[in-house]
Amino acid sequence: MEVSDLAVTFGSRRKQSRAIDGVSLEWRRGEVLGIVGESGCGKSTLARAMLGLQETSAGQVTLEGHEAGGKAAMRELRRRIQMIFQDPYQTLNPRQRVSAIVAEPLVVQGVDKSVHQEHITKALVDVGLDPATYLDRYPHQLSGGQRQRVAIAAALVLEPEGLICDEPVSMLDTSVRSQILTVLMDLQKRRNLALIFITHDLSLAWSLCDRIAVMYLGRVVEAGTAVDVIENPKHPYTEALVAAVPVPALGMGRARALLKGELPDATDLPGGCRFNPRCQKRFESCDRIDPVLADVGPREQRAACLLYDGADPSARSAGPAVTAGPGAGRDRAEQARGTNDG
Amino acid sequence: MKNLLEVEDLRVEYRGRPIVDGVGFSLSSGESLGLAGESGCGKTTTALALMKLLPDGLSQSGSIELRPEGAEEPIRIGKRTEVGMQVVRWRHISLVFQGAMNSLDPVKKIDFQIDEVIRLHEKGVSGREVKERIADLLSTVGLTPKLGTRYPHQLSGGQRQRVMIALALACRPSVVIADEPTTALDVVMQAQVLELLEKLRRELGLAMILITHDLAVLAETCDRIAVMYAGRIVETGTIEDVFSNPQHPYTKLLLDSLPVIGGTRGLAPPIPGGPPDPGNPPEGCAFRPRCPYSEDRCLAVPDLREVGKDHAAACHFSPWASWPKIEAAGLGVQK
Repeated sequence: MEVSDLAVTFGSRRKQSRAIDGVSLEWRRGEVLGIVGESGCGKSTLARAMLGLQETSAGQVTLEGHEAGGKAAMRELRRRIQMIFQDPYQTLNPRQRVSAIVAEPLVVQGVDKSVHQEHITKALVDVGLDPATYLDRYPHQLSGGQRQRVAIAAALVLEPEGLICDEPVSMLDTSVRSQILTVLMDLQKRRNLALIFITHDLSLAWSLCDRIAVMYLGRVVEAGTAVDVIENPKHPYTEALVAAVPVPALGMGRARALLKGELPDATDLPGGCRFNPRCQKRFESCDRIDPVLADVGPREQRAACLLYDGADPSARSAGPAVTAGPGAGRDRAEQARGTNDG
Repeated sequence: MKNLLEVEDLRVEYRGRPIVDGVGFSLSSGESLGLAGESGCGKTTTALALMKLLPDGLSQSGSIELRPEGAEEPIRIGKRTEVGMQVVRWRHISLVFQGAMNSLDPVKKIDFQIDEVIRLHEKGVSGREVKERIADLLSTVGLTPKLGTRYPHQLSGGQRQRVMIALALACRPSVVIADEPTTALDVVMQAQVLELLEKLRRELGLAMILITHDLAVLAETCDRIAVMYAGRIVETGTIEDVFSNPQHPYTKLLLDSLPVIGGTRGLAPPIPGGPPDPGNPPEGCAFRPRCPYSEDRCLAVPDLREVGKDHAAACHFSPWASWPKIEAAGLGVQK
């Protein structure tokens, strides 16, 4: 699946909020992709837009090169890519039995009725629930973890190729959380299912994702392999986000740079780089130039920060040598790092 | 010196079934204790019992003694009546409720809500002093006093959580209990709120009980930890001891299942099953049905025993010299 220059705008013409502002992403077959960021950065909106659950104002979503516009294409997309949500208490219809909940996608997609039972049974077994016990239960008779398993079963009953998980475990307890993640990762391996984890929990992204994209105020500000981005973050925002994760190890203390303040209002974005008011490495051009993603590492690691060559869109169009000469960005990067380490 | 808070053999029952079953711990001033465990393990019930705020139908017994600085006689919370508790709550011990962000009154301004708490619990404070204290409290929790003129819906989740902490501090208590104070917040807000709690503890010398299922949060903020399972404390000790040398299989498996940035990628085998049904508890050790190390002797209930200096565990086999390798059994299918 490919997303290019996607934008989602909320609000009236006079007070526009750009929830998604030009996001491009690739999601490969069988890949586990993490989309991380604070509440309000647009990660859930992005997921909804990818499935056509949210009207977009620009850009396109393609599945194997075919644009997902029009009713038929959208129907096809939603059969092949499914989604599960954060709150298993709100996503299941309280008046439907598990059997009806899991059957619903089959009904919607017009699958032949004679095979429903077989699909439902298989989906429940796949998520580790015994069909004999659970088929006739109502959601209120299930625990949080069991509900999330039912939600996953309903998402998998059509045997999709991709599953978008929006904070799938953030409301669950530690031991239930690892059970649900084990179910998901097990399915990922057995079915070569592509997964997207939308999360603010970088430690989860670290342990499960192949690649991650870090979002800030509707933009992807850094992307790359999970290992590169988390072990060696290039964007100051990613760095701060990694530092905010509590570490279950000793002797870490809390003496680290904390991200101050909250996300600015999306209707009133700061000029230049949208992270600059909270950035500890800002320098003079940060409030003038809006950076684009530039290559910053060998394995497709990219960051949208003026510390790096190629992030200044005007310099890029004019050719790299015109404004600063090669290496100037890197010098700045080193300078900034030097002042901050001390 | 006596401890600030001493809890012994705390029990909470619902229709004869124990929800909290013989919990005991102590807290000295300026110390922070983490109460860890999954939903339903009794940690929130314990907090409510300490405040004598249990809902109808739940009855508590056991001794809870609080010795605020300067007090000659301890306050015996366990024996206090509702009327007697009203002068203790918020004055000496306060609670930041779970999901607190949503427990502010939506139709009253922030200032007014703090004002109410102060006046209700401290008679005869002048209007001017209350005003000053509100401004003070708001800046203590990192909010500009100007925000006091707003309504809760005009604040973000993180700001509302800070207001709740300000409310808990309004009458200068010596113990603050925070029940899942960061669970609804994202990592950035979580880090900010934890930093704030840490600062308050340092600067005001507050003793704190932090309740959460997130062990990583406890590792960063607490001096000591008590791990609860099915209404009992199954392990307690300093953070260092418990994290580096866990002595109960439950603690050990929970710690193993935590993802750690920079650590091994992938998933550790999860603990199978779920917590026991309080109406139908398993025979013997409550963790036995989920425990990969269980044997016949686990059919007897283990006591919480010392396994080291200031370190206790409720497992027949502790102290564990080493942890036998367990086969990843897989999750199987839930019946």
